[in-house]
Amino acid sequence: MTAAAKHSQAMHFQARAGEKVRNPVLQRALQKAKPLFVGKRAKGIAGLADDDLDFEALRTACEGIRNRTLADLDVWLDIFEERATASGAEVLWARDGEEVGRLVVDIARRHGVSKATKSKSMLSEEAHLNEALAAAGIRPVETDLGEYIVQLAGETPSHIIAPAIHKTLEEVEALFAKEHGRPIETRTSADIPDLTREAREVLRQHFLTADMGISGANFLIAESGTAALVTNEGNGRMVTTLPRVHVVVTGIEKVIPTLEDFATLMRLLPRSATGQSISNYVSLLTGTRREGDHDGPEKTVFILVDNGRAKLLGSAYQDMLRCIRCGACMNHCPVYFSLGGHAYGWVYPGPMGSVLTPLYTGIENALDLPHATTGCNQCGSVCPVRIPLPKLMHQLRTEQVERGLRPWSERLAFKAWAWVAGRPALYRWLTRRAARYLNWLADGDGRIRILGLAPGWTAGRDLPVSSGRTFHELYKARKRA
Amino acid sequence: MRVALYVTCLVDLMRPSVAFASLRLLEAAGCEVIVPEGQTCCGQPAWSAGERALAADLARKAIGELEGYDYVVIPSGSCADQIRNVYPQLLADDPAWGLRARTLADRAYELTSFLVDVLKLSAVPNQFDGSVTYHDSCKGLRGLAIKRQPRDLLARVPGLSLKEMSECEECCGFGGAFSVKFGEVSTKIVDRKCDAIAAAGADAVVGGDLGCLMNIEGRLRRRGDETTRVLHIAEVLAGGEA
Repeated sequence: MTAAAKHSQAMHFQARAGEKVRNPVLQRALQKAKPLFVGKRAKGIAGLADDDLDFEALRTACEGIRNRTLADLDVWLDIFEERATASGAEVLWARDGEEVGRLVVDIARRHGVSKATKSKSMLSEEAHLNEALAAAGIRPVETDLGEYIVQLAGETPSHIIAPAIHKTLEEVEALFAKEHGRPIETRTSADIPDLTREAREVLRQHFLTADMGISGANFLIAESGTAALVTNEGNGRMVTTLPRVHVVVTGIEKVIPTLEDFATLMRLLPRSATGQSISNYVSLLTGTRREGDHDGPEKTVFILVDNGRAKLLGSAYQDMLRCIRCGACMNHCPVYFSLGGHAYGWVYPGPMGSVLTPLYTGIENALDLPHATTGCNQCGSVCPVRIPLPKLMHQLRTEQVERGLRPWSERLAFKAWAWVAGRPALYRWLTRRAARYLNWLADGDGRIRILGLAPGWTAGRDLPVSSGRTFHELYKARKRA
Repeated sequence: MRVALYVTCLVDLMRPSVAFASLRLLEAAGCEVIVPEGQTCCGQPAWSAGERALAADLARKAIGELEGYDYVVIPSGSCADQIRNVYPQLLADDPAWGLRARTLADRAYELTSFLVDVLKLSAVPNQFDGSVTYHDSCKGLRGLAIKRQPRDLLARVPGLSLKEMSECEECCGFGGAFSVKFGEVSTKIVDRKCDAIAAAGADAVVGGDLGCLMNIEGRLRRRGDETTRVLHIAEVLAGGEA
């Protein structure tokens, strides 16, 4: 079992899903968020026309940039390493999450770090970096507002760009009151700026006193050895410029060739994520503090992480590596918005998570996820880099069958059904019986309220049934008449 | 024009009136309609579950039965997507079958798409007194780009008015086996669809896929809505009586 698999709860998806569907607080939070996400993105994409840009043409361009990079990933990583090193940074490589933890702790020890501020990084969640730091006596402080809330609550992010989306205002108020040592007040959404200010005041102290800043990178730009960071709260700038040491932890697939490519991808990344034409802060971080610079780290280290990515190259799943982590797929997913992200059991939720979790933690450790889809393809139709998410989930289901990971009863049922469907006379006879049986169960009512064969269906809805005759039966009788 | 009607297994078992309505529509439009004898299921449930070999067996069987007509018409976006989009890739490794799959795919149409895009139908046989709201099923909408066709047809029904619901393109939560395997999640999703239908306030909700319609009808009734009719578009266009 891999390190990633040890931390995954994805095998409990079915049980967790039920829990989440029945949680009224969570449901309230999700219901509020969904129309905002969908509406903002729609507006953002529509706004492309104002700049004479076309969504489909841009998608093709972005997909092309990512595909071209992945086709020669080793080359672009080499170029990135060379240019980043030339500009004064150090580039390290990590095979998995545990190695990330070891490397960061080692850097922290060498530089006498006792506190590290962090800007949002999902890879650090993959690596369980906060646990590794805490175990080494180094205090990690999350500074993205959502991440800060999640860290106070002792939870994990439930969304890749809105980590505390599962939290209501009341929950955040209770958490802040406790943590910031003040009485609980009654809050409305008009008080959100006050709560934000409160968090900012606490975080400011951490920004000024931290010895190390840890960030992710939205992209690595090979030609200049630069980390591109796209944020909205400004915390990313604090984390990457104030402390003495800056560590960038990111996946090897994040590299792109040029700044020009970055500009193209930026046309779609913020629009797909939050609907913004550009995010509040776009930082391009290259090397260390130069002479005459007012700020910037004395030491910059890139940790480029594999953790399951390299083995997707050349596989049936390579398309997934195009992902630029905008979150549009989950924002448009009916399953995600019925459950929230925690039901998915590992770092990444929603459609991209249903593909990445089995691939990074083992297909056998996340059997439900590729099945937890209606096949609606709302995700695939919004993805800015055209990842065919339903197709990849289908590929995973197929692989489950090929590797003998499905229950034998399910496989037998499919075999029996297909055998019958291959024999029209027998199929007709059985469907005639079934139609009569269903009609009998409906008891003249036109619908069945409890069906033992499909309790999952009738738990929430009736089953409308026909008159007890199949079409083929009726059609044959009519032709005879 | 010889047209094969592919009934779909759900329509055969659960709502024969949809197939009879399709038959009448096609005949009224001047087609010679044949219901190929041996047809059973297109194999989509097997394909979807990852049972590739079983799905390929059923695809070959269906191709054998459905080829040789001028067109094949299917009153379901979901099954039409299987035949048009999946069969060719499922059988791509076998040159002979791959060719037969592609040939069939080119002639296979979802019902509303056939009526509008191929037949360019200008009048429909039925009339309908009341308002309807249209649910765009995912496979038809995102797999076959069916959006305008059903609305074109509904606009030609005397007496009918269309009241669009908000988020008519949102999934209803059916998803075949999904609705049984993840019943609670599916119910949560269809609840939002039912809310949108209720807000539209139409006399009937209409769609082109029986799976979605059974899901929506089942949930509406369970929620206590006994009056909103749930109809397949063929039933609206041709009249629903068997």
